[in-house]
Amino acid sequence: MAILDIKHVSKFFGGLAANSDVSFSMEQGMIMGLIGPNGAGKTTLFNCITGFYPPSKGEVLFKGVRMNGLQPNQVCHLGMVRTWQKVRPLAKMTVLDNVMVGALARTTSLKVARQVALEQLHVVKLEHKEDFLAGGLPIGERKKLEVARVLATKPELLLLDEVMGGLNPAESEEIIQLILELRKGGLTQMVIEHDMKAIMRISDRIVVLNSGEKLAEGAPQEIVNNKDVVSAYLGEEVE
Amino acid sequence: MRTRLQVPLPSRAPRGFSVVGLLVFVAVVAALAIFPQFVKKPYVLHMGVLLFLAVIQGQAWNVVGGYAGQYSVGHAAYFGVGAYVTMMLLEVNKIAPWWGVWAAMAAAVLLSLVIGSITFRLRGPYFVLASISVAEIIRLATLYFKDFTRGAEGFLLGEIPTMNLFGEEILFIGKRPFYFVGLGLAVVAVAVNWVVQHSKLGYYFQAIREDQDAAHSLGINLSFYKNVALSISAAFTALAGGFYAMFVKFIDPNTVFGLDVSVQIVLLCIIGGIGTIVGPVIGAVVLVPLSEILRNPKGLVQVGVLSADSGFVTFVERYLSNAHLLVYGILVVLVILFAPEGVLGVIRRAAARWGRRPQDVPPTAAAKA
Amino acid sequence: MIVFLQSVLSGLLVGGVYALIGIGLTLIFGVMRVTNFAHGELLMLGMYLAWLAFTGLHLDPFLSIVLVAPAMFLWGAFLQKSFVNRVLGALPQNQILLTIGLGLIMSNTVMLIFTSDYRILTTTYSSSSYKLAGLSISQPLLYAFLITVAITGALYWFLLKTDTGQAIRATAQDRDAAQLMGINVRRMSVLAFGIGSALAGTAGALISPTYYIFPQVGSTFTLKAFVIVVLGGMGSVVGATLGGIIIGVAESLSAVYIASGLKELVTFVLFLALLLFKPAGLLGKTRA
Repeated sequence: MAILDIKHVSKFFGGLAANSDVSFSMEQGMIMGLIGPNGAGKTTLFNCITGFYPPSKGEVLFKGVRMNGLQPNQVCHLGMVRTWQKVRPLAKMTVLDNVMVGALARTTSLKVARQVALEQLHVVKLEHKEDFLAGGLPIGERKKLEVARVLATKPELLLLDEVMGGLNPAESEEIIQLILELRKGGLTQMVIEHDMKAIMRISDRIVVLNSGEKLAEGAPQEIVNNKDVVSAYLGEEVE
Repeated sequence: MRTRLQVPLPSRAPRGFSVVGLLVFVAVVAALAIFPQFVKKPYVLHMGVLLFLAVIQGQAWNVVGGYAGQYSVGHAAYFGVGAYVTMMLLEVNKIAPWWGVWAAMAAAVLLSLVIGSITFRLRGPYFVLASISVAEIIRLATLYFKDFTRGAEGFLLGEIPTMNLFGEEILFIGKRPFYFVGLGLAVVAVAVNWVVQHSKLGYYFQAIREDQDAAHSLGINLSFYKNVALSISAAFTALAGGFYAMFVKFIDPNTVFGLDVSVQIVLLCIIGGIGTIVGPVIGAVVLVPLSEILRNPKGLVQVGVLSADSGFVTFVERYLSNAHLLVYGILVVLVILFAPEGVLGVIRRAAARWGRRPQDVPPTAAAKA
Repeated sequence: MIVFLQSVLSGLLVGGVYALIGIGLTLIFGVMRVTNFAHGELLMLGMYLAWLAFTGLHLDPFLSIVLVAPAMFLWGAFLQKSFVNRVLGALPQNQILLTIGLGLIMSNTVMLIFTSDYRILTTTYSSSSYKLAGLSISQPLLYAFLITVAITGALYWFLLKTDTGQAIRATAQDRDAAQLMGINVRRMSVLAFGIGSALAGTAGALISPTYYIFPQVGSTFTLKAFVIVVLGGMGSVVGATLGGIIIGVAESLSAVYIASGLKELVTFVLFLALLLFKPAGLLGKTRA
């Protein structure tokens, strides 16, 4: 059974369709790349999947459970959690406290939460910053913090929205290694990314969105050779 | 972006149990408890009671305003309900205040659930406006429905029955008994704040304050936790209201439901420093004596600080006695412009400079090692 | 029927002044996104200035606006430059608290100078009224209304037809874009706060013959101003004009048909309902 099933999802804002009739599904343990030009509706799709917007049409099934109408907090408790393209650190809390907030989704004990949080900070290599205020971190570390925080909620499906955006090559490489490591551990992930090289390296399958519609789906190699995709990206940088 | 955030600061929510903090707390409470043995001047005890009252109010608001970041400017609603329910149960139904105040707190919690379900859907200035409106509606209704509330006439307390505590009879006459009750209640309020801060609730409240969407995505049920914060806050504000009614012995809609009451509660916390336990205490320590001296400078004469013919007393009495809120106004403007973290922030910064701590080593990290 | 018409008429007359208060507040919010909780105190200052001009210079309150308006403009510009301008980027809560603080300073300073006594400004025509087809029209309210109409007209002309007015509107619509277009956004903010303050002060002067004058009179008007502005949609000048008239009439009708002690309560209940069901105001589009 697919872990995530997106069936004919559409989202309208006024008369504008940000997503129209998008369908695809994800298997346990895979990494799905989600790409498309700016304004293709990638982040809107994340919002529809995680409960921030109710889809106007269609349905989202996670582990066979219908997600439509659930609140983001309920979606999180069911095991699906997202990061934010524009990072959202809890600025006046420390790095450790940020991650503990994530961990508290699964426990009421601060002691347990602290343990989980420290482990996740170790995973993203941010343990040396645990006592710093999250608002003061440089962008690369904020992105890592974002990942540690969602990992602490013990998700089964992770949705990463441009975690490499704004990072230098070395930092991006660290994130790539982290994503691959997490897959080894069996975590299913959906990744929005603009860096084509990176997305081709990490993804098992790729879905291409264009103007809110699904343009193509396939293995990375198929996508690279797909004429529609190439023409949609014409003018955009395809490295 | 503020560069201030670049400076590493110690964790706001101290982990585990701070022995030093507890010792300081116990020492302060003990000192306050034996204080009336040495100083018996009613004016001083009176100020002590007002101080404790402000501490309870401040700690109560801090839960929803400081931790959860929901700036309610309508806490007069809970304060007034606390005062009216306690007072009316005593005057009309002859129920002793130490029982009546429980009913008052329960009523305030119920009210907070209604108010919360209305106002928490709103954000920013709209939330503030809604919270003010609700309190105003209650004030106007209390003024209007005279048959039940006596309207603008208000309630004058007859007498508080004698309390029998473990065989000991306590008469509520003079300032002394109120001093001890106030101290006890303030200790409870501080303790509850501490427990909130050191629990899942505290973390969730702060996460909501910092970023509602991020908090929502991390599994936090926003409306549930906001309502929990408001309920705790409402209960203690009502407790303060009941205590106020018994101490001052007269209440009317404008003095307990007025916008001034709400504003004073908020400013107390802002000026002291929000989101910490010490902040509202500092706010109370700074503001209560200042505004009380302006209101009644003769007290200083009674205490012996000033002589009766002192120019200061005459000056204050003639020009400043009605304007005690001026202090609040000036201080809040100064704090917002120059010290957004309140007096507590100023003290901390001064202490850090004085202690010459290296800026790049967070103190907690050093302490743990 | 005559009762109904009478109360609609009185409501309309008061509503004109409310509109003036609301327009000032909405201009400030539109240009700076600052919710000015000291707006009622600015109106209170206008009342006291008119009272001073009346008792000191024997100037008619309706004439005194030629002094009150410029004085309040300067005062508003000063407040903006020295205080409000410093918190433009701060959290909305902090902006609100700052203006609450400024309001407290104003009302308490006035109390220091004039004590908390209620003052009454009695003109020869304070309680006179015109009779028209069975309706009575209070003279001071009528004059106030007519002046309000003239000022509102002039303000619309200023905002729509002059370069400065258009620059203010552009700033209100999109501060960043306006800045890119070369508009001096800081100057527009000072102007907007000045005008807003002048409007509030003028409204204060206009109602000084019909209301009690005391230092705490401001807070009621602050709240009322917010009700008016939210009703019309925060930032909309047309909305504030309509909002003022609607609130004036609603108060007057509920005073007659519900109970005079409940008229403000009714206003707040309507306000809450509005916040919940149509937060963008009656004219605004509700967000998706």
